[in-house]
Order: sequence, then C-alpha cells, then structure tokens
Amino acid sequence: MNKKTKELNRINNSLDKQVNPENQEAFTDMICYLRGANISGYHQELVRHDLTEMVLSAQQRGENLRAVIGEDYQAFCDDVIASLPPATPKQKVIDFLDIACWSLSILGAINIVISNETITLIHDLIFGSFFGNPLNCSISVSIGGVVSIGIVITAAIIIVNVITRRAFQIGKQKGNDRLKAGLVGCGLMAAFLLIARLGQTILFTINIVLACVIVLALYSAHKVLSQLA
Amino acid sequence: MIPSQMLKGTLEGCILKVISHKETYGYEISEKLQEYGFTNISEGTIYPLLLRLERNGLVIVKHRESPVGPKRKYFSLSQSGREEMDCFYSNWVELENAVNALFKDGK
Repeated sequence: MNKKTKELNRINNSLDKQVNPENQEAFTDMICYLRGANISGYHQELVRHDLTEMVLSAQQRGENLRAVIGEDYQAFCDDVIASLPPATPKQKVIDFLDIACWSLSILGAINIVISNETITLIHDLIFGSFFGNPLNCSISVSIGGVVSIGIVITAAIIIVNVITRRAFQIGKQKGNDRLKAGLVGCGLMAAFLLIARLGQTILFTINIVLACVIVLALYSAHKVLSQLA
Repeated sequence: MIPSQMLKGTLEGCILKVISHKETYGYEISEKLQEYGFTNISEGTIYPLLLRLERNGLVIVKHRESPVGPKRKYFSLSQSGREEMDCFYSNWVELENAVNALFKDGK
C-alpha cells in the first residue's frame, strides 16, 4: 500500500466508526466485495471513501443504506467496479510478489523462532559457557516445513478470495457456511498432521544468521513493493 | 416509472445537463433528476455513472468539506463534458423526432 493509499485507508478506518449498526453489515459486505475486485488498492479506498460519505450523509437525513443504494448491493458494486479502470498486469504482479514476500517473511520468522535448533542455540548461548558446548548455528529445513508453508500461503489466498467474492452470500446461511468452514479446517489440519509425520526428511540446512538475513530481505522487498502497489 | 433498460444511455447525458447548471454533488443530482420526473433515481444509481464521467474526463471533481465528516465530491462540467452534453442532446432530438414521426404516422 503506497503512502497515498495508506493515508486514505487511515481516514476511511476512522470514518467507518460513524456507520451505525443498521448499515454496518451491508456496508462491510460491500467493502469486502470491492476488496476482491480487479481494481487497484487506491481505487478501492477511493470508492470506500465515497461510499462512507454517502452512508453518513444518508444517516444524517434519517435514511438507511438501502434507500441510497437500492435492493441489490452486489449489482451496485458490479456497476461501480465496471466504471473503474481494471488493475494492470504490472499492478497484479507487484501485488502478488508483495503478498508472497510478506507471507514468506512472516512464516520464515516463525519457523526460525520455533525450530528446535534455535531453542537449543538459545539454551547453549545462555548455558554454553558453563558446560563448554560448541554452538550449532545451523537450522534444518524439512520437506514437510516447505510444503506446509506452501499450503498455508495457498490456503490463505483461496480463503480470502472465497470470502471477498461471496461477501453477500456468506453468513446468510449460517449452518451451511459453518459446516463448510469446519470441513476445510479439518482437511487442512489432517494435511498438516500427515506432512508432519511423512515430511521429516531434511531438505537442507542453513546458517541461522543467513536465514535471518533472508527473512529481513523478504520483509524489505515487501516494504518496497507495497510502496509501488 | 421509466424502465431501467430505457434509462441506460440517456442518464449520463441528463446528469451532464444537471451538472451544467451549477457545481453539485451526487445526492443533489439525484434529487434534481427526481424533480424532473426521473423516479427511483437514487444516489447509488448515479454513482457508477459519475465515476465513469470522471474517468472519461467529462466532469471536474473537487473535494469540499461537508457537515457530515468526510469530504464531499463536487462535480462541474469540463469542456469535453459540455461537448458530450451537446452531442447527447442533438442525438436525443434526432431519436425523439424519429420515434414521434413513427408513432404519429397513424398507419
């Protein structure tokens, strides 16, 4: 998110609080649906700003969102999306790389922190001088670990995609949606357990300092890409 | 009530005409259109059209303070918007004449 978009996002977040509970659900559904649209982040925030102004003005007149938008919120959002320039292929590539770098930096950092070798290293750094243990600065990366990271990122992208595209349907049939969400959760859990059992083969080992440098480089790349998005 | 299918294509020209009177904002445009007999034209109906007019450079947008909180978008006509409005009206007159001639023919 570049500076201009971030500033607009900050303003919109504070204005959102003035939307009353009667309009909140439909308003959130519309913003959620727009988030999944093929338009730039800046246009998403611009539209969100305009919609917030429309809703707050309506509230002041004693009207609700339905009086302003009409019955079909999704059709309204589709009209809005069609009126805006679609995100360019360059923007899409930057967005994808931004998300990939950010996700990999977070998951990489988590994996470094929770790895057995890191815990042993911290232990040795504290007590090593007493027992004279040599420091092991390598952490091992297993096949399961790499596959798990891939699954986490792919599942997150798919889940966000489904939620944004079906913003107006999700939650309207509560039982059905909860069952589906439960099944997806169980499926993911089963996959992770299977991977943890079968994917223990070490793919490679890496120096912990180098691993930290890679994580920092990915995070820096995310910061740079988010300015371009 | 005018069917929405019939309104398509004419509403943009009418919005340009309303904006040509004075600098105005979405809700005021919808109110004005309703005064002229365009029933059921809400702010939500014209918002996507205003976005399109803005994208095509037919209107000039200025953000001004509003009593509600967020800045409100005010629209005025650009030179190309004025030309587009004139073009729409001459097309409309041509269409109106053709339809009237057909229906008044009596055959």
